[in-house]
Amino acid sequence: MLRYTLRRCAWTVVQLAVLAVVVFALTNLLPGDAATVDFNEQAGLEQVAELRAQMGLDRPWGERLLDWAYGVAHGDLGTSLVGGGPVSGVLAASIGVTATLAAVTLLLLVPLATAVGLLTGLRAGGRTDRAVSAVTLTLTSVPDFVLALLLVAFFSLRLGWLPSTWVGVDGAWWERPELFVLPVAVLLARTVCTLSRQVRAGTIAALHSGWAVQARRLGVPRGRLVLRHVLPNAAVPGVQELARTGDQLLGGVLVVEAVFAIPGTATALVEAVQNRDVPTVQGLALALAAVACLLNLGADLVTRRLAPRTEVLR
Amino acid sequence: MTGATGREQPGGDGRVGSPYGPGPLVEVRGLTARAGTATLLDGVDLTVTPGTATALVGPSGSGKTTAALALLGEAAPGVRLAGSVRVGGVAVVDDDGPAAGAADVRGRLLAYMPQHPAHALNPARRIGAVLTELARLHRPFGTGGRSAAEAYAAGALHTAGLTPDPGGKGMDGGGEQGGGVSAAEGRALRRRFPHQFSGGQRQRVALAQALACGPRVLVLDEPSTGLDTVARARLAGQLNRLVADGFGVLLLSHDHDLVRAVAPRTVLLDRGRVADTGATADVLPPPRPAPQRPYTDRPLPPPAAGDTAVPALVAHGLTAWLRTGRRGAVLHDVSVTVPEGGCVAVVGPSGSGKTVLARCLAGLHERHDGRLVLRGEPLPVLRRRTARQIRGVQYVWQEVRGSFDERRTVLEQVARTAVRLRGLPAPEAAERARRIAERLGLTPAQLTRYAAELSGGELQRAALVRALLAAPDVLVCDEITTALDATATALVTAEIARLRGRGTAVLWVGHDLALVEELADTVVILDAGSVVEAGNCRTVLASPRSGTARLLLRSRRLGAEVPAVPPEAESPEAVPPETSPPEVRPPSETDSPVHREDRPQP
Repeated sequence: MLRYTLRRCAWTVVQLAVLAVVVFALTNLLPGDAATVDFNEQAGLEQVAELRAQMGLDRPWGERLLDWAYGVAHGDLGTSLVGGGPVSGVLAASIGVTATLAAVTLLLLVPLATAVGLLTGLRAGGRTDRAVSAVTLTLTSVPDFVLALLLVAFFSLRLGWLPSTWVGVDGAWWERPELFVLPVAVLLARTVCTLSRQVRAGTIAALHSGWAVQARRLGVPRGRLVLRHVLPNAAVPGVQELARTGDQLLGGVLVVEAVFAIPGTATALVEAVQNRDVPTVQGLALALAAVACLLNLGADLVTRRLAPRTEVLR
Repeated sequence: MTGATGREQPGGDGRVGSPYGPGPLVEVRGLTARAGTATLLDGVDLTVTPGTATALVGPSGSGKTTAALALLGEAAPGVRLAGSVRVGGVAVVDDDGPAAGAADVRGRLLAYMPQHPAHALNPARRIGAVLTELARLHRPFGTGGRSAAEAYAAGALHTAGLTPDPGGKGMDGGGEQGGGVSAAEGRALRRRFPHQFSGGQRQRVALAQALACGPRVLVLDEPSTGLDTVARARLAGQLNRLVADGFGVLLLSHDHDLVRAVAPRTVLLDRGRVADTGATADVLPPPRPAPQRPYTDRPLPPPAAGDTAVPALVAHGLTAWLRTGRRGAVLHDVSVTVPEGGCVAVVGPSGSGKTVLARCLAGLHERHDGRLVLRGEPLPVLRRRTARQIRGVQYVWQEVRGSFDERRTVLEQVARTAVRLRGLPAPEAAERARRIAERLGLTPAQLTRYAAELSGGELQRAALVRALLAAPDVLVCDEITTALDATATALVTAEIARLRGRGTAVLWVGHDLALVEELADTVVILDAGSVVEAGNCRTVLASPRSGTARLLLRSRRLGAEVPAVPPEAESPEAVPPETSPPEVRPPSETDSPVHREDRPQP
């Protein structure tokens, strides 16, 4: 297990290095750069070239990559071309909201999806299962923005219970938990459905296995059987799905951020792309990709423990 | 040294001062089981008393397992139970089917060990954790709590005969010193996952699970399948010790030698009815005379392939590891040559690497070194094999249920081999499948069913059909007769002989030495991953030179000689005698740390 962990961590480092290069290369392929954006249409070509030289954008890209990579390795994500501040500042400003949103969602998601998955899995084919499955499948097929608008229309506009937007909220968003209710609800709606389906499938498979039957025959009571024997096996597909959900949430679910005007990472990223603010795009993309890699690393390690026999495959 | 031995031994609390009295532990009266209009069991009577073993025998499909599961108040979907089953005075089945008391009996009073223990162990949990959980579940350990339960679990493992170091290495060198089971080794063993044990060892872990519950009655369903002769002799010894400790044992088995060795009373089932009951010697047919060399006079099916035979498959210097980075070596420099039309048998104690060898040849085990040559061409691992090479080497293994799709009929899946690998049109492939299946005793009706509706033995033969439809050059058979009764085994042997007549090379992995002697012309004895002896089958079996072969041969006959279980120190896997005394001593109240009061009263 230790060797596997070390090997897997080493691979994550390699992955991140490759990723940095890819992010850098891709952002360089974007048409235009900050110099063209900074000026209005009257600016002459010389002025643009001058600014480009000033920003250091005329150097060969290999050189710029090394420069950037050196900075990243030392914790310096560069300087935003638009605001002039450090990219880490942009990241810090947006990640707080997104991380809180993701954390609250995950905190509710895991027990809820596990419970729904177990409930439907244990009663597979029964009335409860069919009713719950119908609801979850319907919810999955409703697009996020439709659901968001429906919720806003009902809870904010008609009942007036909850705020419909984050517009005008500055700074102290953490003091107003009601802001999170609708966004979290929208995020939960879809993720609970996909995750609980995975847990359900895993539960059904595990319940019918020879060892679950044997544990029952040896007198293991049902609740214990489900939690100690079935769940560890049933969770395997769920853990992988959870990692995927986690990095989606941290990347900021753009639709949700857009509908509720949440100043999160997705919004920051889109803004940066629109402004051709290459260092910010690079910094944000790399940071989010790193989080995704780490989440998947965690999921792989957990899966390895839950399905230890994978070590002998091949 | 006594870490794994523990002070508390499961069992040993049966006879003296039982609140259930000296009467039967299990009393079955007029048990019937019906599924639709079919009668699976018809008025079965059965008793199991403390300190005795009773055998339940009968041909496949006679209802043995149905009867055994009824003791737990369990029935397959659609099966209705009626009659009376009482376990330790608790009604488990009455005329309305399973009674409410059944849940209370499971594990605590009666533990069932299923036929294929590989599936009975939770792959995600360490064996020690489950054993401790089961021990705590059925008995209060008071303030000692967890550590007492752990000691009890360790005792269960020991009683089940699981020694440390089943991993494969070290049996050649240090296995014999296994006398001291250190506490650390015992803990390491309990921290293993089921996949880190070989098939025979998993059987013992499953037995340990049953023992950890601390039941009064053990119901064992074919406990000797897949065990080598030494392990089987040890199992018989262990069962006798458990009986001496006061357990009631119900033994379901095709293995008449084991039944004779363990159970003084036998109930013979036939099509759901008790056909005979009484002393084992009276119920079972007399043991077949076992001369020193039973098959020597019989000519081998095809003329024995000499040294001049063309090699079909050669494995040269095969070394295999279980884990990445060349760790956990399970085979050491093994070389095997299977000539065209020849049959090479691979024999050895469980955990000696037989299955890994077979999987290497089949291309499934990739962590190996050495050369594989099929008809003069190098043979890569399975995923790099050409269709021609895949067709050329076919592998049939022991527990095949997982390899069948539940949503298609067996025939459809089996015939697919011929379509995919030989390009036959589907109808012709199906026709050929039916023909081969018929020779193996499977009816067309059985073939068109789904896998779940077939018994283990039927599926095992269907898997053989699947491999044979590829018309392989080399057939690798890994214990493919374990779920078969004598008739079916004879059909399989005949088919193997027929194949060899057509030039197919066969590599046969098996524990049944009589069968090996009948089938193979060359035998390779594996121990701890190394070839300890190889040569002409008759010569080796008649005058074995290696200790392993001698041990396997000496243990082949159970019958009357059971008490003379081979000197265990010689066995690579045996529990050394020094650690046994706690169980061998005649049971008495003071000897057994698990007193009656420890048991929750019903």
